[in-house]
Order: sequence, then structure tokens, then C-alpha cells
Amino acid sequence: MSLSFERLQATVQAAHGRPGRGYWLLLALAASLAAWGGWAYSLVVRNGLYVTGLERPGCWGNLITDFVFWVGIAHSGTLISAILFLFRAKFRTAVYRVAEMMTVFAVMTAGLYPIFHLGRPWFAYWLFPYPNERGIWVNFRSPLIWDVFAISTYFIVSTVFLLVGVAPDAAALRDRAAGWRRRLYGILAFGWRGTDEQWRHYTRAYLFFAAFATPLVVSVHSVVSWDFAVSVLPGWHSTLFPPYFVAGAILSGVAMVIVILVPLRRWLHLEEIITPRHLDMLSRLVLLTSLIVTYSYATEILTALGEPASDPERSTFVYRMTGDYAPLFWLMVACNCVGPSLLLAGKVRRSVKALFTISLLVNVGMWLERFNIVVTSLAHDRDPFSWRTYTPSWVEWAMTFGAFGWFFFWFLVGLKVLPPVSIAEMKEELAHEAHASGEAAHAG
Amino acid sequence: MTDPAQKPLGRRAFLKIAGAVGVAAGCSPKAATQKVIPFLVPPDDIVPGTPLYYRTVCRECPAGCGVTARTREGRVVKLEGNPEDPIGGGALCARGQAGLQALYAPDRFQGPLRRGPEGRLSALGWDEAEDLLAKALMAAREKGPGSIRVLTRPEPGSAGAFQRAFLRALGGRAEDRVVLDPLDAAPLRAAGEALFDQPEIPVHELSRARSIVAFGAEFLEAWLSPVEHARQLAEGRGRVGPDRTRLTWVGPRLSLTGYSADVWLRARAGGELAVALGLLRWLVDPRNAVQDLAPEARALNSRLAALDPSELSRRAGLPWERIERLGRELSLRRPSALLGPGVSSQGPDATQLAAVLRLVDLALGNLGQTVFYGLDPMEDPPSPFGQVESLLADMAAGRVEVLLVHHADPAGSLPAALRAGEALGRVPLVVSFGSRPDETTRRAHLVLPDHHALESWGDVSPRLGVVNLCQPAMTPLADTRAAGQVLLELAGKLPLPAAHFPWPDFYEYTQTRAETYAMVALGKFPDLMAVQREALQRGGYWSYRLPPRSEMPALVRGAAEGFLSVPPPAPAEGGDLDLVVFPGVLRGGGGSGLPWLEEVPDAVSSLSWIPWAELSPATARRLGVATGDRVSVATSAGRVELRAYVYPGLRDDAVAVPLGGPEALAALPLVRDAHSGSLAFRSARAVVARIGRGGSLPILEGSPYQHGREIVPTVSAAAPSVRRPDLSHRMYREPAHPEHRWGMAIDLDRCTGCQACVVACFAENNVPVMGPEAASQGRYMGWIRIERFLGDEPGGELEVNLLPMLCQQCTNAPCEPVCPVYATYHTAEGLNAQVYNRCVGTRYCSNNCPYKVRTFNWRDAQFPRPLNMQLNPDVTVRSKGVMEKCTFCVQRIRYAENQARDEARPVRDGEIVPACAQTCPARAIAFGDLADPDSRVSRLSRERRGFMALEDLNTRPAITYLARVREKEEP
Repeated sequence: MSLSFERLQATVQAAHGRPGRGYWLLLALAASLAAWGGWAYSLVVRNGLYVTGLERPGCWGNLITDFVFWVGIAHSGTLISAILFLFRAKFRTAVYRVAEMMTVFAVMTAGLYPIFHLGRPWFAYWLFPYPNERGIWVNFRSPLIWDVFAISTYFIVSTVFLLVGVAPDAAALRDRAAGWRRRLYGILAFGWRGTDEQWRHYTRAYLFFAAFATPLVVSVHSVVSWDFAVSVLPGWHSTLFPPYFVAGAILSGVAMVIVILVPLRRWLHLEEIITPRHLDMLSRLVLLTSLIVTYSYATEILTALGEPASDPERSTFVYRMTGDYAPLFWLMVACNCVGPSLLLAGKVRRSVKALFTISLLVNVGMWLERFNIVVTSLAHDRDPFSWRTYTPSWVEWAMTFGAFGWFFFWFLVGLKVLPPVSIAEMKEELAHEAHASGEAAHAG
Repeated sequence: MTDPAQKPLGRRAFLKIAGAVGVAAGCSPKAATQKVIPFLVPPDDIVPGTPLYYRTVCRECPAGCGVTARTREGRVVKLEGNPEDPIGGGALCARGQAGLQALYAPDRFQGPLRRGPEGRLSALGWDEAEDLLAKALMAAREKGPGSIRVLTRPEPGSAGAFQRAFLRALGGRAEDRVVLDPLDAAPLRAAGEALFDQPEIPVHELSRARSIVAFGAEFLEAWLSPVEHARQLAEGRGRVGPDRTRLTWVGPRLSLTGYSADVWLRARAGGELAVALGLLRWLVDPRNAVQDLAPEARALNSRLAALDPSELSRRAGLPWERIERLGRELSLRRPSALLGPGVSSQGPDATQLAAVLRLVDLALGNLGQTVFYGLDPMEDPPSPFGQVESLLADMAAGRVEVLLVHHADPAGSLPAALRAGEALGRVPLVVSFGSRPDETTRRAHLVLPDHHALESWGDVSPRLGVVNLCQPAMTPLADTRAAGQVLLELAGKLPLPAAHFPWPDFYEYTQTRAETYAMVALGKFPDLMAVQREALQRGGYWSYRLPPRSEMPALVRGAAEGFLSVPPPAPAEGGDLDLVVFPGVLRGGGGSGLPWLEEVPDAVSSLSWIPWAELSPATARRLGVATGDRVSVATSAGRVELRAYVYPGLRDDAVAVPLGGPEALAALPLVRDAHSGSLAFRSARAVVARIGRGGSLPILEGSPYQHGREIVPTVSAAAPSVRRPDLSHRMYREPAHPEHRWGMAIDLDRCTGCQACVVACFAENNVPVMGPEAASQGRYMGWIRIERFLGDEPGGELEVNLLPMLCQQCTNAPCEPVCPVYATYHTAEGLNAQVYNRCVGTRYCSNNCPYKVRTFNWRDAQFPRPLNMQLNPDVTVRSKGVMEKCTFCVQRIRYAENQARDEARPVRDGEIVPACAQTCPARAIAFGDLADPDSRVSRLSRERRGFMALEDLNTRPAITYLARVREKEEP
């Protein structure tokens, strides 16, 4: 047995120790990045979207790209915690808490962008179907309304799922903490005492939530993909989009988990808990989803190229590959298809540095993928007279990078408050391992 | 019983105090200046919310179209054509529509101004200004004849007549008054004088012509009477079949007028004359056995036979067969019309070109059929250009003491080589009646701002038998005074008995003249007052008729021979490219600075706000220039910097620059037409060099090619039907339109791309002007755009197709289902309604619109005072963050529907006319109810030429386009 219960709890708790200078520096960086984005957004509110680079036909740009990107990031959490839980994939145990935290904060980020990009964000509440004296209802035919439901449902479910999982851990931490932490964990523990009945309810509830969240993994990004797929725009109007988007979301989400986990396990000394085996498993997931994404690219392009030259669909794809945005397209292919294929080699998978780099680039590539879908299709619609290239303004870049500031700000705060690894499940796993090895020794 | 006075605060006391406070609040200074309706006692005829119409006349160009000014609550909000006027026929061009913005221009002079010793203009009173001027005039008068001069735009009416009377009273000579029209078609007048002894501008009736050949005459843009010409051409285009008017464009550059042509003869700059001579030579050549040729023309054969076809064809830059083919066409298709020269072909041989074209007209019997003499009223024709030059010379030499400038801008509208600005600087007292700052008022010492035409009395007679009356449609906005009134008052102050006119004010003077018009138009009439009132209500006195053939003048013996030699070739030095200068449909000959005209993209280049230099793709490649680059264009006169626009509709040996700004004028060398002495716009050679990249360009077009998508199909006259997709299968229930289904039909065979509809839409629907920066960022807000396709693929065959693109009001509208808040929805009458105050601005509707006709308010629109007074009160001004688009002028639909309901009758077909359809000179747009199978729009929509934009998407638009008929070869 490599890890004792005490060691485990101590390691996890050590993460909650007095923050060092590096932490504060990172937190300040994240906060100022977020503040910069916020300042940029205030310009949009005051002056209108004139300060962006948006135009006709490019009515959507960076901000929608950011939205889809962050919804994608939000996917891995539920995938790892819910689906892999149902499949009894044990390697998830060590990583799922980080993934879940990431999910909640990523949804918190993603949800902002549809509001940010509105012409009149102060009326964003009109997108919710609330009873009103005017008797005006929302348009349930609009995929943007589906989005509202999908994102808010996903946010609620993933938050609840996170909090349910945290409850036993919070109880464990509560018993050793003092001051505000004790009160906080007292609340998060929901009166957990570790009785048999509570454990029975907990495991039932966890299974139930896992089962409930699983379809969401597929549905949320499918709904997001319908934002594009139900339109008549060449490059958007495609039945391939839902599976393609889900695979892409998981690819970017898992890559993001890796990008976060690799430094995290160093800084918080979690190497014993999050082992190379866990990273290997995650990298296989990256590889798998990358192959699905590559297949989707190929399907789209080959289908389009099969059309006659005058076909707008074909023209849009040719434009993507050879037009104004071609460098971004090929960078995307390099990041999302070529990079992850290196993970076929076990050596690459086991190299933490290589894995980190590839995952980081996958995130760049996935952002570019969404940019490519959103922007190139709009720039090259059916009526050639209205073609026009869109270039984001500094305001949109500030808001794009501000999103990372905002996300990491919450994530860093979360790290100091929530246990980054599920103590209870790790203990359970350790106990099972101990039991198994004990029995084996007994038999031997 | 208690004393009521002792009550603390009774009911009555409370009401008294409350009332007093209310009155006091009402009397506060702020409330006093902000009146909801600016009438304390409203005039009987002004009912708030009800439009009131005045007939008047457009003064934006010399054509003199009649105008109906729509006023609301005492201010003009829209100009429309006067349907009774024989010139405009109810239509108005882009510039006419924009005349309203000159009225409300924020930079208009607010009152008389005097230039102080420090060089700045400062305000003074009218009396003071007039006294000052009277004194100066008396002093100048002492210096002898010619020291008081008047420089004016053509004023064919009271204003001009009074100027002449005033000058006479001062003892001035007739030549002291110089009439300036920089784009004057003087060569036409000179040719008429030489050939027929008629120094007139001929009038054309193009609707009768079966073939029209335009030799660089931009007759649909700026040449003579463009609105009238567009209507006449459209009539000929309405006859699909062998009688459909066939148009040939001759010149180095395919202009917007050339877009309507069936054939473009790419003659080189200056080659128009050679084409015309070749044409005449072919026609009179007995070997070609042309029937029914005028004997006078046949007699010219001996001279013409001496011309060498190969020499002519070399000069023209065209193979001789092309000229022969044109000759054959004209010999068979009669009558025809030959138009020219226009600005772009007005070279040193302009009068000769005009004369040869008249001889062709004569030979083919067009005189009295399509071309008419005897209709020029000769009322205030522009002075010969020599007079303008001698005035400038006198000014420069210090021989002019006082110069009265009446709506002329010599410093800003004549080639810089004439140094008009310097000449103005030598005049001790320059008095301008201009109403807005320009290059001349910048140098004026006294500015006495005139009323805008919509604020003044007057009359214009653009043609014999047409007097369009000008009457004020609203109270003057500023402390301006009619120029005629100022002259009248001035005369009263002069100690000259001859200057004491009998009229108490200028209005009375116009009335006296109107009486004579009434006599002429109607003969003796018992009640002149009633006649005049009726004329004011209708807009003028019209006794216009085309004279019969018998009244056409005969050729003066021996006059033609002088015009039949090939002129010596133009000197080749100065550069390797011919400089082509052309007027535009929006800017005319001079930059107006009116926001709508600047904002609306040029129909040829789709550029707005800036001038540009056009280069052919081959030339651009040779020079290493791409669209958007900065290039220098250098001529012997000067060097200017412009942005390049690569345009396949230009010969490889030419560079083209639009008139309408200082750039083209700076590059024009001073060359005159050999015969008439008028300014030659075409003669210069230029060197073009690349300077560098230019940054973003205020351009509207993405790709001007159809990329094989067959967006705008064309048909042949033999088989005028379009292949359309089978859309009979229905998967979903479609919206029902129980009562009306508003729809439109746009005839592309008539549309000339003149942009009048675009500007009318800006005016009617409060469409904001966003400025040059927004234009280069793709934030143009126009609800209609003229899409111009140059062919199928870049480098392929040039085939220009225009497509006015506006909201298609689809039955299956892609914009509707994607809006999350129902800000856009389908009405029961088939409109895609846009609810501005429900819109949250997701912009998904625009993304999903295949036609990209929705515009988004990226920021709050700005209407700088007093331009905001033009805003149509029936239409919302949209705020930032909302989407907007064409509504089919829903306010007009509702107005007509309410009117019909009040009168308990159904809406009549043709009763609803959207602003675009109303102003279209070519009558290309029809609007009406598609649910009524007998309506005009329904009948047009069923035509075989009909197609819908991107029809295979099954959006089922309410707009049917009628395909253009294309006949490259003569039938």
C-alpha cells in the first residue's frame, strides 16, 4: 500500500495551507486580466458594439467563439465525473474533482458571453420565459432559447453534482478545521456524520446525479451546435454538428484538465495521488476524441468537395482552407489533429512535458476551430457581394483573455477552499486496494 | 362658524396653490422654448400628424424637375417628384432626394457675415450688410464699366431675370453677368449653331428610339436631364421583343450609364469621334446601300469617302467591323438616338463630335423623332467658357471691384489650373449669396446667405413650355434672405432712379412674371389669381409638346464639311495612360458634402466618402497596384494622391478619376474645345505610380463576381424566361396571408442603378449616416443596396448585372425562427416585422439571412442639428444595439390602410407606394398586393422573366425580379 489514509488527507489538506507568494501573484494576475476584460466590456456597454470588429456579415466573432470554447471546456468535468463513474473507470477518482471545479467555473465563464455579445445586454432577461403583463413569450423555435435552457440546466446540475461529491470531504475537513473554514465546511458538509444511512443515501444520490448528468454531456454541446446547425448558412448548416461538437468539447475539456493538472500536481505535491497512470488514461481520451474530431473535419470537407464548384457549401470550405483565414485553419489542423496523434506513441503519453504541450495546443486549436466555424462561414455566405472579412478589435481580445482571468480567478479561489481531490473516494479506493492485496497475501 | 381664512389648508386653497404652481412651472424659461408644436395659434391647414404637400422645384442640377415636398408640423420631411411635371414625371434622382439635407445642413450660414480684418467671418445685421454693399456698389460704379460683376449659376427664371434688371439699373453691361455651369454642354450648343443655326441644347425623346448610342454621354447620371432620360429608356426597355430599345455605350470606361447598355464599344479615350466619323462614313457609303438616308447626308459622301477606315479604326481603338456592325444596326433600327459628348468624352474635339452625331441623326431621320430643336427656352443659358475665363482674368488683373457670386463656386468647381481661387483673392469685395461654406465663400468678404429653394419663391423654366414654380414649403430656418429680395432692397438704397423698382418685395416680382407665364400657357383668362393658385398647387405652367418633324431646322449649306476631317492626334506626351474624368450619379460634377450622397456607395466602385482612381486589372498588375493601395496620378497640371480601385470596365490604356472633389480638378490641365472654347475634360495623359498600402477602404462590395451561383440570371429577347427550381413540395405549413400579401416586382431591365431609391429610403426611414470610418468597417446602414456583379469569375467575361438588394420579406423567412424574443416575426400581411423595442441584439437574424439585408445599430445614430428636423415622424429612430431592415415602408402601408378604412373601401392597387418605388426614375419597382391576382405586382410577378433571389433556398420571397434582357448581337 503506497498511501495511507492520513497521508492522503494531509496531502489534500496541505493544499489549503496559507497561500504562498506565487499563489497571490497568480491570483492578482488572473484578477487584473479579468478586470481588463471587464473594462473592455464597459466600453461596449457605453459605446455599443461599435468598438468591436464586428460588422455585416460578420455579426458574430470572438465573443461567440469564447462562448462555445468555454462550454466545451465545461464538458470534461461531467464526462469524467459522471460518465466514467457509471463506467466504473477507476482512474477518474484522482482527477474528477479538479475537472468538476473546472466545469462549474467554465460554465460560469461561458454563460457570460452570450450576454456580453448582445446589442442590449440590459434586456438579457427577456431570453427567459417569465410571466409578464405584456403576455410576450420567448420564441421556443430559436436555438438561442434552447441554449439558455441547456446552459442554465447544465450550470445547476454540475454545481449540485460538485457539491454533493464535496459533502463527505467537507465533513472530513470540517472536523480538523477552525474558524471560517470550519463554518464553511460545516455548510458544505450538509450535516454529514458518516453514518451508514448517509453513506447509503449518498451513493444512491451520486449514482442518480451521475445518471442525470450523463445525457447532459451529450445534450449541452449538441444544443450549442444547433446554434449553428439549424441556420441556413453554408458551413453551419450540417447534421454532423452535434456529435462533432460533443467530441470537440470533450477533446478541449480533457486537454484543459491535463493543462491544469500537470502544474497542479507539482505545486500541491499530488504526484502520489495523481499518478502517471491517470495522466496516461486522460491522454488516451484526448487521442480518442481527437480522432473523432479529425474524422469530422474530413467528413465535412470531403462532403463539401464532392459538390460542384458553384456550390456555396463547397466554396465556404475551400475558402476556409485557402482564403483569408487559411493560416488559422491549418494551425487548427496542426493543433487538433496532428498534435494529439503523437499520443499514439506511449513514450509521448508518458512524457508529462509533451503531454502538457500537446494539450495546451489542443486548447489553442479548439478555440481556433470555433473561430473558424463562426467567422469563416459568416464571411463567405451565399451572396458574394456581401462577403467581408472580420478582424477582432482589441476590445474583443481583452474580453477573450479576460475570460481566462475570470476563470482562473475562481479556480484559484476554489483550490484553496474545496478539496482538489476527492478524499472520500480516494480512501474508498485505497481501502479496496488494501483489501485486495491483503486477500491476495492471505491466499498466497 | 370658523373663518375660512383661518383654515390651515382647505380644499380650495390647495387647488389654488397647486394651480399657481402648475402655471409657474409652465412659465419657466425652459418650458417657454420647448414647444411640442411650434404654433400658438395653429394655421388652419396644419393638422398635427397629417402631412401637407407643397409643389415646388428641384434646384440641385439644371434639369429643373418638379418636386412635391411633404411637410409635417411645418417642416419638410421628404421630397418626391411631382407626377404632373413633364420633366421628372414624378421621379427624383439621388441628388434631388438629398436636396433636403442642404436645407437642414448643420453648416448652413445662420445670417449675414462679414470678414473682419483678422480674416474671420463675423455676424452682422441685414441692414448693415446691405448698406455696406450699397455703398461699395456706388463706389465701384464710379470706376467705370466692368467693375461690378455677377457670377451666377444658371437661373432660368425670376432670379436670373432680376439679376439682369439689377445690373442694368446699375449701368452694367450684359456681359458683366457671367453664368457658370462647370458641366455645361456647350459643344452641343455650338454644334447646333454651326449646323442648323440653332445655338440650342437639343431635347431627346428616347422612348421612341429603337437604338441608342451614347458616346461617353452619361445620360442616366449627369448629362442634361438624367431623370427624364431614365424614364424614356425604361419605356423602351418595357417593350420586350424586337422593339426593345438597344443601347450601345462608346468610350474607354464602362460607366453606370454603360451598365444599361447591351454593347460596350471599348473605344479609347478620344476615340469617340473616330467611331462617329466611321459610322457616318459607313452610312453614306453608297456601297452599303442604306435606305431612306437624308439627301443632305448623302451629299457628304465625297468628303467622308476620303477618310481612311483603317486610320479611323486605329484612332478609335476598335476594329473596323465593330463600327460597321453599329452602322448596320442603326441603318435597320430606326429611329435611333445618338448622344454625346458627355463629360468623359468632352475633349478638344467636343463640338466636332456633337456635330458629327447630329449629322448621323440627320442622315437617319432622327431629327424630329428622337432629337428635337426648338425646345431650349434660351432662358439664362450658361455663358460661353471664354467669358468665364475673361472674368477670371479681369479679376486677377484687379479690374473687378465688386463680385456678386450667386450659388456658383468658381474656386471649387473649376480646374485648379484656372486659378480661380487666386483671382477671387484679387477682388476687393467678393459678395457671396451661398448658403453653405465652399471654396468661394471661404474667400468672400461678405456672405449674404440665400434661402434654400424650399424656403423661397421663384420659377424655373428648363424647357420651352415648362415653367416649374418654386414656393416656400416651410418658414426659413435661419436669418437668411432670398438673394432676389436682397438685390431689390439693395436697389432701393441706391441713389439711382433706375434702380427704384416698382415691386415691394421679390415675391411680387415673381408674381408679375407668373402672370406672363399664365398668359402664355392659357391665353387670356378672366381670373389670373385662380389660374396662378392652381398652378402653384399643381407645380407650374406646362404647355410642353414635342414639335413636329416639319419644324426641325434644316442643315446650313456647307456647314457640315468643316466637321468631317479627322483631327490631328492628341499629343502623346504627359504619360502613358489616358486620364478619364467622369461625373457620378451621386456627386454630379461637384462634391456636395451632403451626408446621404457621401454615405451611399457609388454604384460602380461601391466606394463611399472618398474619391478614387480606377485602373484596369492588366494595368494594375503592370504597376503592382491592388484595390485599396495609394497611388499618385500625375498629369501636366498636377499630381494627386488617390486610393486605387481595380475595375475591369476600363481600357488598359486609361486611368479614371471621378469628378466631385479637388482631386480630379487638380489633375485637369487647361485645354479647351477647339470650336466652342468650352472646357475639355478629356485630353490629359497621366502617369500612375504606386505609393503604398492604404489601410481599410470604405467599400461595400465583397466579391463582384457571381462565382457560378447564377444569382442574377439574364434572358434573351427570343426566349425571355428564367429556369426556376421546382419548389412545389411542402414539408411544413407555411404562413397564411388571409387579406393582403404585400409584394414587390423589380424589373432589372429597367433598373439603371441610379441609387435614387437608396437615398429616398434614407430620407423616408430615418436611416442613419454612419460616416467614413464605419463604411470602411462594414457598418453601412442602408436598407437597399445596389449589388453590382461584373461577371461569373474574376478575369472572365465582363457581364454587368445589377441587383437592388433589400429585405425580401420571405414567406419562409430564415430570420424569424432564430430570434429568441420574437423581435422579428411574420405578420398576417406577409411582412417580416422587426420590433425595435423588443430586439435585444443577438444578431442571429442577420447571420441567418441569406441576403444579408439586415443592418445592426453598432452605435447610436447621430443626426446633428438641424438635420434631426428632417426625421420622418412616422418612423422610429432606432437606438444602439437593435437590428433594423427594410419594412416595405410599413408606415405608408398603414396610412393607406387607415385611409381606406375611414372611407370604408378596400385598399386600391397602386395606392401604397414605398419610397423606393415612388422615386424610381425608371419605374422599375412595382408594389402591391400579391393576394390580389389582378394587381399590377401580381401580373408582373407572373411574367416569364420573373425569378427570385436565391430561390432554391425556398425562402419564397415577396420580391420577384424580372430578369434583364441581354442581346449582345443585334437581332
